[in-house]
Amino acid sequence: MKRVLEGSHSVAEAVRLAKVEVISAYPITPQTHIVERLSDFCADGSLSARYLRVESEHSALAALIGASSAGARSFTATSSQGLALMHELLHWASGARLPIVLAEVNRALAPGWNIWADQTDSLSQRDTGWIQLYCETGQEVLDTTLQAFRLAEHVSLPAMVVLDAFFLSHTYEPVDVPGQREVDRFLPAFNPRFRLNTETPCAFNQLAPPDVYMEMRRSIQDAMEEALAGFSQMEEEFSGIFGRRYGAVEPVECEDAEIILVTSGTITSTSRQLVKELRSRGERVGILKIKLFRPFPAEIIRQCLKKARKVAIIDRNCSFGAGGIFAQEVKAALCDLAERPVVFSFIAGLGGRDVTVADLENIYTQVRNQEVPQRESIWAGLHPVPAPELNR
Amino acid sequence: MQLELPDRDYMFPGHVACPGCGAAVAMRFLLKALGEKTVMVIPACCWSIIAGAYPQSTLKIPVLHTAFETGGAVASGVRAALDMRGDTQTTVVAWAGDGGTFDIGFQALSGAVERNEDFIYVCYDNEAYMNTGIQRSSSTPYGAWTTTTPGRDWKKMRKKNIVEALVAHRIPYAATASIAYPEDLFRKVAKAKAIKGARFLHIFASCPTGWRIPSEISVKIARMAVQTNIFPLYEVEDGLRYTINFFPKGYLVKEYFRLQGRFKHLSEQDLDQIQTMVEEDWKLLRHKAGMS
Amino acid sequence: MKNSTPPFVAHSFRTTEGNKTGSWRFLRPRYDEKTAPCAAACPAGEDIARIEMLTSQGLFKEAWETILMENPLPAVCGRVCLRPCESRCNRREFDEAIAIRAIERFLADTASRDELKPSLERFASRKQRIAVVGAGPSGLAAAFFLSRLGYGCDLFESAPEPGGVLRYGIPSYRLPAAILAAEIEQVAGSGFRLYCEKPVTKALFEQIGNDYDAVFLGCGRSRSVGLLIEGEEPGEVEDGFEFLRRINRGESPAFSNAQVAIIGGGNTAVDAARTVLRLGGKPVLIYRRRREDMPAFEEEISMALEEGVRLLELWTPLRMERKEGRYLLTLQQMRAFDTAPGQKSRVEPAEPRSTMELSVIHILKAVGLEAAEEWQNPPENSEKILRLSDSVLVRSPSIVIHGGDLASRIRSVSHAVASGKEAAIALDILFQKGPDEVLPGLESCRVGNGPALSLEMYMRGPRCARNPHVVVFDEINRDHFQFAARLVQPRLLAEERSRGFAEIDLRISAGLAMKEAERCFNCGLCNQCDNCRLYCPDLAVVRQTDSSARSIDYDYCKGCGICVVECPRNAMSLEKESAPRAQR
Repeated sequence: MKRVLEGSHSVAEAVRLAKVEVISAYPITPQTHIVERLSDFCADGSLSARYLRVESEHSALAALIGASSAGARSFTATSSQGLALMHELLHWASGARLPIVLAEVNRALAPGWNIWADQTDSLSQRDTGWIQLYCETGQEVLDTTLQAFRLAEHVSLPAMVVLDAFFLSHTYEPVDVPGQREVDRFLPAFNPRFRLNTETPCAFNQLAPPDVYMEMRRSIQDAMEEALAGFSQMEEEFSGIFGRRYGAVEPVECEDAEIILVTSGTITSTSRQLVKELRSRGERVGILKIKLFRPFPAEIIRQCLKKARKVAIIDRNCSFGAGGIFAQEVKAALCDLAERPVVFSFIAGLGGRDVTVADLENIYTQVRNQEVPQRESIWAGLHPVPAPELNR
Repeated sequence: MQLELPDRDYMFPGHVACPGCGAAVAMRFLLKALGEKTVMVIPACCWSIIAGAYPQSTLKIPVLHTAFETGGAVASGVRAALDMRGDTQTTVVAWAGDGGTFDIGFQALSGAVERNEDFIYVCYDNEAYMNTGIQRSSSTPYGAWTTTTPGRDWKKMRKKNIVEALVAHRIPYAATASIAYPEDLFRKVAKAKAIKGARFLHIFASCPTGWRIPSEISVKIARMAVQTNIFPLYEVEDGLRYTINFFPKGYLVKEYFRLQGRFKHLSEQDLDQIQTMVEEDWKLLRHKAGMS
Repeated sequence: MKNSTPPFVAHSFRTTEGNKTGSWRFLRPRYDEKTAPCAAACPAGEDIARIEMLTSQGLFKEAWETILMENPLPAVCGRVCLRPCESRCNRREFDEAIAIRAIERFLADTASRDELKPSLERFASRKQRIAVVGAGPSGLAAAFFLSRLGYGCDLFESAPEPGGVLRYGIPSYRLPAAILAAEIEQVAGSGFRLYCEKPVTKALFEQIGNDYDAVFLGCGRSRSVGLLIEGEEPGEVEDGFEFLRRINRGESPAFSNAQVAIIGGGNTAVDAARTVLRLGGKPVLIYRRRREDMPAFEEEISMALEEGVRLLELWTPLRMERKEGRYLLTLQQMRAFDTAPGQKSRVEPAEPRSTMELSVIHILKAVGLEAAEEWQNPPENSEKILRLSDSVLVRSPSIVIHGGDLASRIRSVSHAVASGKEAAIALDILFQKGPDEVLPGLESCRVGNGPALSLEMYMRGPRCARNPHVVVFDEINRDHFQFAARLVQPRLLAEERSRGFAEIDLRISAGLAMKEAERCFNCGLCNQCDNCRLYCPDLAVVRQTDSSARSIDYDYCKGCGICVVECPRNAMSLEKESAPRAQR
């Protein structure tokens, strides 16, 4: 059924359809609409879940570690500072192999206080062992949330569904909300391999000395690799039921493209418009949208980019001292190719600054006109820094 | 005279607690009283080690080891999941040390108690960070040496009164207990088990290693803490009704302090001051119990 | 989707039993039962702490048999023993001593009421036959223990009924004749033959010395020690013991409210005074020292005073005269000196001299007895004589043991039992191992630091495993005990008592006996209180399923020692780990 939904509410609808059993959350803008809507669902009975209104994001994830260990499908949502506060337990959830799903609304980290879109918060957590899925549209948010549960439970790893603050979380779009029966077919009840129970009592997460710890970590790496293969199988099933698929990456007009823009999140939508215009002018330009960031689909990316002459990666994030995070990962993926495109790294739109079609065209023009990048990463659309006026 | 306590144990021998560990005794007693329908959450503490390394477990009940500050929250989540599965019979217990309760875990505990989550939070209190090598916590008593309060820098602050902090939450049930008073401890665990909502047990558990005492007096020293009113046995229902369970005959604290290496630096004046503090606390407790 | 690989997570599938934490141990706890002070103080060496333990558990038959193992006369001793056990009871320092004697009486009375037959261990038959002279407490005990050690015994008694001093020297309000008779019948069940009205003269003694392999001489002391009162004529002053014997044989002289003087401060004097009272006289007890110096039981003295006996302490008879069918007794006042606490004072005539006169119709003296005939006394030291604690062994010309009041350190019923036991064991060692083994053999069955002997230990029973160390009060972990008042012995009222010879001390209920026995610390003895197991942090104390015994699992015991400290009664010990630990 098509409905016009806010991005946040698309997440909430998916959580309802996934029949999540335990929700635990703490308010933070711009994630709050998700948990408010879930509160409504719990209150009106349309979702039968225990909702823990905990006293911090740390406890939100801690509670889900308990709930998931005891065999409950579990969900939380957060943003920015909240995610950073969860950091310790992000590692814990993956180390304990708990398929918790977390909706992460990308927001800039303070200081100064900034509630607007920025991916640095989620990308800072790339090494925590969570599957990360970046979304572009309201429909994709809903679908990806359902997919996240399926994939997470398949490989026993937690998953993060990532959406841009406001551009996606607070934007209303028409969304096809699937029926419960179809969702149930795609996502059967959670049936974990292990769970806390008094019939077969055992201890979880106990001391793991050097003789076993490394193998446990290797098991996480293996699961990530299985998640990569599993993603396309999962999408096969998903599209068989719902008729939609997104791909770990989505190449747009890449076949003959000389220049390919690599994007994620809502910047992709803006890029689509630019590419349409440039193509109409005869420019050979394409887009590679990265949806699945962890596990990182390096081989697919190589295949998509290897024929291009130049690649421009647009990062709404920065790893200070290194540059755009997607750019680092894509460059690393390409370095094994004997002949590889020239890679341009752009940092754009931090802290919620708009990245317009014009901004993107400016980036495209720079790339087209330069044989090699002038810097390791190019900060797009920087304003002049005001001179301080000191009060004396 | 034999105590009327359940015979069955829910622990195996071969755990790796130090000789004379009061926390091991406390766990034995707690589980005897709770029985097998119990799920336990253990945040970082001595018991994270005692319980056994992979692939061992010394407990006959399911255990979830968790991060240091998460006892209250993880137990909330386990309870929620069990409830969702229709299992309301199983008792969920968070089992934490004083560091995980008084300090780093206090926020999660306070949150869980405020939400009146249906589980028992047990703090086994050995009055310092023992697992990491005897560092001071907010439970370390006035006057104590630890490796972070060495020499003349011995701890000059009072021990945090954790029970009173939880009573301020109007917790349905909060009680102190001691490994040296097993019957009292059993009765309180059984009582806590029968109550719905948040319950807190503060069990005094001696630590021969950290207190610098011979292991054989481990239980005796815990008993002396009660006999000297340093650790009174009492319980509070609904944050209102105080019951003192044990009235010591006399309460000279000096004997208790002299037996422990962690207090050996204290002067007569220091001990006199501590005596005054203990008497103040006792008077306050009696007042709360309506005994003035 | 294809199946995914199971995650490798930290989750348990094994217990910790594989960790043999016993290898950490450098101190080693062990069960080490020790000796209770009461048992060490009991002349008969009764295993009192165990008796109390069994009683507290309601195991009355077992408790009674535990007494009989060491003492054939619990109904008697439960009434008239001077209770050295209670004066050494560690509980005295806590609140009050255990009423050990009352419990012993309860057990004996209960066994008698239920007509129980004891099952007592005995040795196989020996070829030697032994004659026992005198069926008083020492003779009965000797015959009983000798029978248990496998010897055929013949017991000769001069009186028409057995019991000796028990039958004739103790008034029935303290020891009813029926109780004594029943107990002797029960003792006789051990297998010896009893011949009453068979006085052993010197000639007969010499004959049985030839007929038997050995003779035990336990004929006691019955001849009065002369009292030098100025004006006394032979036959005028009756011996207290003779007087009691007369009454116990059924005589009932009437004193018609007249004064009777009784001279002496021992139990016989007090018994005689109280008997006079019951026969309608007005007894006046005259003692030359202070009341606290009187050898009689304090409780008996105070009951006597309650009943109406008049006590004149620090008075001694100076002379007696006859006057109008009565006697006029002149008494002189004495003064005590050297009055150290706990010691008998010394006395001398008070200055200035002071006297008083007393008009009485009868005078009794109870100041001591000696052997009826000189040959009954043990001979002076010689090569063939072995002086033991409560008996004297003579090996030539025939084997004779002088026992009971003839040879005991202290003349009491329990010492008489001790004497009979010592003689029985000494003879067995002599016959089985030879004269050189007698002393070391006796040493090996001493209770604690002695001198009492244990037949159970002699027969190599479980009591042998006990450490002889006698537990002192400071070794008791008092944290595990609560104050509890001692049993109050129910008694006839003073006015009921003085009307007749009914037993004064009334029976106590099983509930009261158990409650009293529960007060016992059970010093040095494991009473399965389970503290060791309860407080063990390492679950290394194991209780056997078939018995209630506990053992330490040294695979896991880390040697913390909590069990030893928390043992309320010092039945455990903690020692340095000496044996090299097993390599694992």
